Amino acid sequence: MSSYRCVFLMGVEQALEYRVSFFLSMLSAVFPIIIQTTMWNYLYGHSDAAAIFGYRQGEILLYTLLATIVSQLVGTGFEGEMNSDIKMGGLNKYLIRPVSYKGYRFFRFLGQKVPRVMVAAPVMAVIIGLAFWQGMPVSIGKVLVFLISLGLALLLNFSCFYCIGLLGFWLTDVDKLFGTISIVLTVVSGGVFPLDIFGGVVETLVNLLPFGYTVQFPVNIINGRFGWGRIGAGIAFQIGWIFFFVCLGNVMWRHGVKRYAAVGG
Amino acid sequence: MITVEHLRKEFTYYKKMTGIKGSLHNVFHRESLTKEAVRDISFSVEKGEMIGFLGPNGAGKTTTLKMLSGILYPTDGRIQVDGFIPWERKNEFKRRISIVMGQKNQLWWDLPASDSFYLNKCIFGVDDGSYRDIIVELSELLDVKELLNVQVRRLSLGERMKMEILAALIHRPDILFLDEPTIGLDILSQKKIREFLKIYNEQWKTTVIITSHYMADIEALCDRAVIINQGQLVYDGKLGDINQLLGKRKLLSVKTSCAVDMERWKAYGMVREVSAAGAVLEVPQEKVKEVLAAILSGLQVEDFTVTEIPIEESIARFYQKEVAGA
Repeated sequence: MSSYRCVFLMGVEQALEYRVSFFLSMLSAVFPIIIQTTMWNYLYGHSDAAAIFGYRQGEILLYTLLATIVSQLVGTGFEGEMNSDIKMGGLNKYLIRPVSYKGYRFFRFLGQKVPRVMVAAPVMAVIIGLAFWQGMPVSIGKVLVFLISLGLALLLNFSCFYCIGLLGFWLTDVDKLFGTISIVLTVVSGGVFPLDIFGGVVETLVNLLPFGYTVQFPVNIINGRFGWGRIGAGIAFQIGWIFFFVCLGNVMWRHGVKRYAAVGG
Repeated sequence: MITVEHLRKEFTYYKKMTGIKGSLHNVFHRESLTKEAVRDISFSVEKGEMIGFLGPNGAGKTTTLKMLSGILYPTDGRIQVDGFIPWERKNEFKRRISIVMGQKNQLWWDLPASDSFYLNKCIFGVDDGSYRDIIVELSELLDVKELLNVQVRRLSLGERMKMEILAALIHRPDILFLDEPTIGLDILSQKKIREFLKIYNEQWKTTVIITSHYMADIEALCDRAVIINQGQLVYDGKLGDINQLLGKRKLLSVKTSCAVDMERWKAYGMVREVSAAGAVLEVPQEKVKEVLAAILSGLQVEDFTVTEIPIEESIARFYQKEVAGA
């Protein structure tokens, strides 16, 4: 068995080891959904317009539900472990074994995602089915493209947070920073509400920056807001940003390890 | 197998002033300091040798081991381990070495140790047959056969350490670095690990460098000791010869039937301990006979013994730099 497959399976095993924590984290997705659904229903109920900020009620509800699930699916959490590896010398065990740290982290991350995917997939299928039944423009083609862009979003989020984790080489204590970064990124990725409701400059920024491509972009594919041209451009952006973060991560790693080896771990 | 020449390692760090005021000061102004952790160390190790690496806390033992295993770059000097330069971190090199750090763990905390073993098997490309053999053999030797499928977090410190050692040996490294493998363990676990290392080294001719604070570890395992203090090599040679180097002195314990006063003892040699029942004297080796004869004729002796100065004590003198120039 290849070492990465082994790491992947151990990641699955590890995620299943703490059952209560796993179910609680799934449950924690339910509350924001309830709050936001209530809020949007209230807003639309008290407005005469069919669409607020360019979103119809069905669209925004679908967005809220899917964005919460997608956020959970692409969300990381290993950046704290990376930081302590760097700070406490845990990195040593990777440096002395013929294994790539990034590969190790990536497959462990994927493995830990598996139980979550197994819960999220049927839920998503039901939501998308309901949306179709409600007459929203969901097609098999769009669902397929959505799944592809979801995969890319996962890669993008991993490579982005891998770089953030590597900051530990230069900043001694980044734990607090991680909290802030992850809250900010949840919002700017569109994990709470779609950022294009602001229109104008904000929308342009969201389209150019990588963050929206981790949550908002895949969700809006299924929402039927994008034509095929826009979807193609978005996927190109996703791939471009993945490429950027992978390169950045490699450069950071090279310099960081040199620094680590020089100052000790 | 291993050659180290004029090894040097400097660390730079910032001076941190105490208190809020100092911290604020540090925000704007940082004074950079340099610490020389290792200065000019040279030694070599033959294949299959097991050497003890001794020194007080902060002497530079771990730093040297980290340079030997390729975790750290040296500031200066040369190291060759089995023909490789460690910090180039070639995969071929990594397959030949292993390092166990008593205060760090490589096992997955939430999973049974056997999972981590299997991961190492995959990483190092060990074939199924030899993997099975190694696990059976080593788990029996270390007495952890029943614990292979227990989550690491549920193991005791001693059990965990045994698992760490087992994990480090899955790929049958030619060279094994052990940094305080018995730290914090009870006497039985220490003994078990010691016995295991002895058998393993004899059977597989693995080259081992071991650091430990417990002299018993070193005495049981190593013929040769390398002692460093304040980053410098102060002794490299047979463990048993350390006493010779410190002036060939012996301890003479004498029991007397009645109390003898301090002044009289002093006439025979350096007094280490004195009580109503006798005294312990430190005497040059060549004078032992003479002094003993004098005591036997001059005092009412009930019993006496002549012993070596404990190695631990001799080494402590090295630590105190008493004989740093020797």
